[in-house]
Amino acid sequence: MKYMLMFMRSDESFLGDPQLEAQYAAIGRWFGELGQAGKYLQGDELQPAHNATTVRWDSDSAVVTDGPFMEAKEHIAGYAVVDAADLDEAIAIASRWPAHGHAVEIRPVIDHDQH
Amino acid sequence: MSTEGAIAAVFREEASRICSSLVRQLGDFDLAEDLVQDALVTALERWPRDGIPAKPGAWLLQTARNRGIDMMRRDARYREKLHILAREPEPARREPDERLRLIFTCCHPALGREAQVALTLRAVLGMTTAEIAHAFLVPEATMAQRIVRAKRKIVEAKIPYRVPDAQALSARLHQVLTLLYLLYNEAYLSSGATHVTDRDLAADALWLCKLLTRLMPAQPEVLSLLALMRLHEARREGRFDGSGRIVLLRDQDRALWNRPRIRDAAALIERARRMGRPGPFWLQASIAACHAEAATFDDTDWPQVLALYGALAQLVPTPVVRLNRAIALKHVAGPAAALEEVEQLSESLHRYHLFHATRAELLREFGRLDEAAAADARALELTDNQAERELLRQRLAEDSR
Repeated sequence: MKYMLMFMRSDESFLGDPQLEAQYAAIGRWFGELGQAGKYLQGDELQPAHNATTVRWDSDSAVVTDGPFMEAKEHIAGYAVVDAADLDEAIAIASRWPAHGHAVEIRPVIDHDQH
Repeated sequence: MSTEGAIAAVFREEASRICSSLVRQLGDFDLAEDLVQDALVTALERWPRDGIPAKPGAWLLQTARNRGIDMMRRDARYREKLHILAREPEPARREPDERLRLIFTCCHPALGREAQVALTLRAVLGMTTAEIAHAFLVPEATMAQRIVRAKRKIVEAKIPYRVPDAQALSARLHQVLTLLYLLYNEAYLSSGATHVTDRDLAADALWLCKLLTRLMPAQPEVLSLLALMRLHEARREGRFDGSGRIVLLRDQDRALWNRPRIRDAAALIERARRMGRPGPFWLQASIAACHAEAATFDDTDWPQVLALYGALAQLVPTPVVRLNRAIALKHVAGPAAALEEVEQLSESLHRYHLFHATRAELLREFGRLDEAAAADARALELTDNQAERELLRQRLAEDSR
């Protein structure tokens, strides 16, 4: 079963963190271990939300606005799609994520091949 | 025992067995749980009229299977499962971990607390949705919706049907025990008030904890929670007066306490102590034992209570534990030290009625009666529990005299 782990953070607090270098090294190891176990499918780190652009539709015309979809303090900083046997394994993988200033939202991915 | 009581006892004994056995056979938690629920509802219609069958467990299992076979014939999605149920009935296996799996799945932390409680009551304790809704004072449709959503998440997010592995077990077990204790307390506290439930949820929680001690005999925290609940049970008679008002620990008639049961609980605590490092429930049970074993309120071993709360605050550093520690501190170091500690908790506990009630008691020690009355009034605003409200109103009336 595929799960997407979304790493949520407040951009200011993360980018201002003096431990940033060490964090990146630990995050690199997390991805490495996941890859070695054959459980890593894909993932990316995202630029901060202040570089976000949102497209919505007003009737049928696309309207482009500056900023993220949700005006929230926390944003998605990155994501990883992992292959886990069940939610408990996905939780165990997420629990090993080294950046404890984040929250990790786990979302099961719909597998369209199964339907 | 009334017919209703006897039926509830049968359901409690059989529901989790049948449910876990059907989940194993069908590999479908959602479906199995629905079939059991249907069988319980059918039994509730028939048993009061026809009497409880000689083998109620077999009756329930057969009814659930028949219902399943009916459903599967009608619904193509289930057709491949039909042959499983159409086979000769397998006797419900008595393997302990089948029921454990059921309990851990119902109490999975990915489900909301309310959903965990509802699922546990339904699948493990054999309550009907209507009874659960009634006990928690919500419309039946709301409760049904809550259960449907939780079960959908179990299937769609693939919450596993299994006992957690060794690494996660202790944290997950603690969550199960916490849920049981919440359930117990909810029921225990309301027992002095008007009876809002037909079923004694405290007895259900106690029963389930007892079951857990059989299923996980090597877990000291399970034994400790059982001891803790039994200590409350042993003192039940003293907690409310004839008109259902709460009697404070200080004023309880200790002759009403059940001494042999207190000794039994103390023996459980001792057994748990020899099994491993003291956990949060062991510490809470030991604190309750300090109170239960004291011949009078003044004989309470307060330094020991304080030390136990100190250890508990290390393991579970929550403001509520610090509040309780402050109460013990009052008896060891005096009200000034306790009040100082309590005042530090005002930010985190300002919505917790017992914070204000405790503060009121301490303020009264210093003759600060206006502030005490204001604090009690705030506590009154924050609790819905009838017995606690009555106690607070009484105190407020005394203050204004």
